[in-house]
Amino acid sequence: MTTTKDHPVQEAHAAAPPAPGGSPRLSDRGLAVAFISPALLLLLGMSVFPLLWALYLSFTDYSATRDVPANFVGVENYTNILTSDQVHQRALTTLLYVVGAVTLQTVLGFAIAFLISRRTHGRGALTTMFLVPMMLSPVVVGLFWKFMLDAQFGVINSMLGSLGLGQVEWLTRQRTALISLIVVDTWQWTPFIMLIALAGLTAVPKYLYEAASIDRASEWFRFRHITLPMVWPLLLIAIMFRAIEAFRLFDLVYILTSGGPGVSTETLSFHVYKVAFLGFNTGTASAYGILMVLVVIVLAQFYLRYLNKLKEG
Amino acid sequence: MRYLQRTGRRSLPGRPARLATAAILAATALAACGGGAGDDSGGAAAAGGPTAPATVPELTDDPLTLSFIWFEWPPAQALEDFANAEYSKERPNVTIEVNTVPNANWHDAMFTQFAARQTDFDIPILDSQHIGEAVTNGNILDITDFVNENIEVDAYDPYLLAAYGQYPQAETGQRDEDASLYGLPLLGDTWTMIYRKDLIGDEPPKTWDEMIDAAQKCQDENPGVSGLAFHQANGSDAAAVTYNTVNGVYGGNLWNAEDKTVEGVINDEAGQKAMDVLVNEMKPLTAKGSGNWFIDEVNAAVAQGKACIAFQWIAAAGGLVDPAQSTLGKTEDEILDKLGFATLPTQDADVVPLGGMGMHISAYAPSERQAEALNFMKWFEQEDIQKKWAAAGGVPARTDALESPEFLEAGPFNQVYADSVSRMRDMWNVPEYARLIDIENTNVNAALNGAKDPEQALDDIASEQQRVLDSAGGGGL
Amino acid sequence: MAITIDEAVPVSATHDAPPERRRGGRGRMVVEVVLLTALAVAMLFPVLWMLETSIKENRDVYAVPAKFFGFDLTLAHYKDVFVAPGGGRSDLSGSFLNSVIVAGASTVLATVLGVPAAWAYSRFSMKAKKDQLFFILSTRFMPPVVVVIPIFLMYRSLGLIDSKLGLVLIYAAFNVPFTIWMMKGFVDEVPAEYEDAAMLDGYTRLQAFHKFTLPLLVPGIAATAVFALIFSWNEFVFAIFLTSSQEVRTAPPAIAGLIGGTTVDWGLVAASAVVFALPVLVFAYLVRKHLVAGVTLGAVRR
Repeated sequence: MTTTKDHPVQEAHAAAPPAPGGSPRLSDRGLAVAFISPALLLLLGMSVFPLLWALYLSFTDYSATRDVPANFVGVENYTNILTSDQVHQRALTTLLYVVGAVTLQTVLGFAIAFLISRRTHGRGALTTMFLVPMMLSPVVVGLFWKFMLDAQFGVINSMLGSLGLGQVEWLTRQRTALISLIVVDTWQWTPFIMLIALAGLTAVPKYLYEAASIDRASEWFRFRHITLPMVWPLLLIAIMFRAIEAFRLFDLVYILTSGGPGVSTETLSFHVYKVAFLGFNTGTASAYGILMVLVVIVLAQFYLRYLNKLKEG
Repeated sequence: MRYLQRTGRRSLPGRPARLATAAILAATALAACGGGAGDDSGGAAAAGGPTAPATVPELTDDPLTLSFIWFEWPPAQALEDFANAEYSKERPNVTIEVNTVPNANWHDAMFTQFAARQTDFDIPILDSQHIGEAVTNGNILDITDFVNENIEVDAYDPYLLAAYGQYPQAETGQRDEDASLYGLPLLGDTWTMIYRKDLIGDEPPKTWDEMIDAAQKCQDENPGVSGLAFHQANGSDAAAVTYNTVNGVYGGNLWNAEDKTVEGVINDEAGQKAMDVLVNEMKPLTAKGSGNWFIDEVNAAVAQGKACIAFQWIAAAGGLVDPAQSTLGKTEDEILDKLGFATLPTQDADVVPLGGMGMHISAYAPSERQAEALNFMKWFEQEDIQKKWAAAGGVPARTDALESPEFLEAGPFNQVYADSVSRMRDMWNVPEYARLIDIENTNVNAALNGAKDPEQALDDIASEQQRVLDSAGGGGL
Repeated sequence: MAITIDEAVPVSATHDAPPERRRGGRGRMVVEVVLLTALAVAMLFPVLWMLETSIKENRDVYAVPAKFFGFDLTLAHYKDVFVAPGGGRSDLSGSFLNSVIVAGASTVLATVLGVPAAWAYSRFSMKAKKDQLFFILSTRFMPPVVVVIPIFLMYRSLGLIDSKLGLVLIYAAFNVPFTIWMMKGFVDEVPAEYEDAAMLDGYTRLQAFHKFTLPLLVPGIAATAVFALIFSWNEFVFAIFLTSSQEVRTAPPAIAGLIGGTTVDWGLVAASAVVFALPVLVFAYLVRKHLVAGVTLGAVRR
């Protein structure tokens, strides 16, 4: 970016100025409107309008396939969802998944970033290598881990077998299936945390460490009082971002376990899908979706507020 | 609508901002008007939907593509090849296209398009249990008159005609002559028992108990080979069909169709016995981690020589005798020395699952393609064509074709199908099918994988299915 | 912003030696290197295994215990990705082509709509600008499974179900917020004075933007477009629920469709996964400098 800074000014002098009044001048205000409104209209049409529509449907018993007019049912859909044991179970599964995955990713991602930041050579290559998983499509990741975690033919169990350990039913036991989901998500998204943590770590000014080493501060002290406070704000951004993404998780469940065994790895997203496309109970599914959107909005607000603070600070 | 779509497309690379804005504005407005509850498009009047003419209307001579939708598996390719080779002899201007979607997405792909009142297929190949949903929503044509006029109904086992076309559903084994028909058989199917002749002997076990004993013995004698392999996954209808099969074998029933009761029927004594056998006797004989197995995993286990006895849909068993995919032999004959195919053992009752699919006509297809679809059906259900379909790897429905050498010699498992026809039983084909099957699938899968107590799972199936049937699909959760 | 990061991904690590090491530093360094290597192996193993599976004969794919070395090499799976069994183009290659078209068109649309908006947000003061920007970004966070329900109803009224245009529009809608946020950062870095100077010379504001700012933004636009491209390329949920025909289906649902038939050809799955992932990895490598901004939707910048 910085290298070409000087060019435009020179060019500005070189290029012949147009004749005054040659083209109709848009006011700044008009220009802003003309430039922004197309994008906003797309968002209004493709995001806001559908959501409002879903909001309307959520108060009806509408079904996308049944040929009967929708009836207004008030908040019945909402009370049904909020009082449903099935939904509570999915909410708990989702919570376990989000907390487990994000925690694991944060710890691992930060550890890797920390280790990389202490290397002098090959940091670029190392970083690039670590980033591969997060560039893959969730479909590819899901399919491939399904293959690797297969109890009979999978390479993971094969390796465990060579170590003399027994076979693990990764995808077909209640606990291990959820753990497998967490592990796969962690595998894919640890690089994300790592990348951002690394950005924070490399930004810690060197003189702070130098000052600390003059003071003969312990390694832990330096980490606790210099490194962590400097990196934490960025890390928090990454964590919140991941939490929102994990909350929305659908593809991995769809491919890896399709919610099984039983319904024990069904997340809220997966459950919404079933309500919407198996029974085509569009009204209920819309209410369910709106509730999820509310959660996302709350999470996103935290994220954005914090981001804002960080930017201004 | 068409115009709008075209404008939108053309506008993309060109002057995007203004045109796209206009398109989106218009789109939003249109959506607002056409949307919401009162969706009045589509010709669906009352339940039952539109009716096909009794005779095939005049056909076009212009080039025409007739589209099917099915899921991704070998019979789909076989159908496309067969139809293009044979049907074009009669109708050279017609090309047949069989579109496929992933099995897990099959129901959703068809019914989302039905819901859109606009289909990119003319002939949906529905699972037999999807008929109720499609008929109730007016998605497929009523072809009763057409069948009476053009199809030799006496040439079929009446139940096969009923199973792939009739709604409301007939009693198992019967056809209700007064009920309407909405489809014709395309591919018959049922489970076959696959057993290792080299490990358990040439004679297949005759009863379910004997089968379990043989599997146990085989597993004990052959380390690394598990006794059984069957469908246990919680997707599609995998685990549910497995339970339903055992339920049938032990004399149980899925529901009482007349008064729509599930509670107390599926979880009666026979039902509980079936669940107990499945979870406590059969499951321990399966490979570790087989709790998410469906068609392809069972095939892989057999092909890798890892199972003594396996259960599989006949239409999906073709790959088992393919030396390229099997470790059991270098040639088909070598494989067949080791693999035997038999009808399912019996116990308290003589029941096997009905699989397979019928072909139907989308209510939203243009009329010239609906006409062509009718003509295709008429053509397809002729005796000689059915025999050719059998020779090409299909499973016909006409009795004469089923008994023909063309069929019986086309595959080592075809005799099994012919012998099973009189024993077949289907699930409910009511509009709420998709939810009923999901309830049963997830609960049976949970019981098989220790996520739920088997008895509890069965009671949950009964109460949840009853709730869905009682609320006629409403509620939603 | 308080944090300035010179090298999110240090391409050429010029950082000085890390803080002075104490006694026993060597032992600790060894531990650290070993740990890092172990983690790298763990992270990369699945990718290597995928590559290996894609060049194995199918019977070796299922071998127990797994064969790490000494298997027969074959490129047959890669051939199967592109060539149908009976010859001719495979369905999968058609899906790849659809992916290219859909991802490309949606990226172009998002860029064309997003870049001017980003410029306007950067340059002009307007009412509740911050709120507008946050509103824009928050639309990006909607769960796709939820959005797909009303989108489905809307598309059904518009005849956009199972059409490439439908996918292009929804992907563009998800990419526009990202483009605006990411590009706003790039625009902020170009001093507004350049445009002011040009306007003193008689250019209109629009011309100033076009002639002087836009050329400077090209690298940023390229990086942003690459991220939009990656999102559209990898997207699965909308693709599987809004499309069904072979003519429209993009690669992710097509690859997912490779399992769930009667046999699973894991070699083919692996090969198509590699073919599918390769362009993304290449593109990601090209924009490695902007990865931090890219993966946080432009929210965190260097």
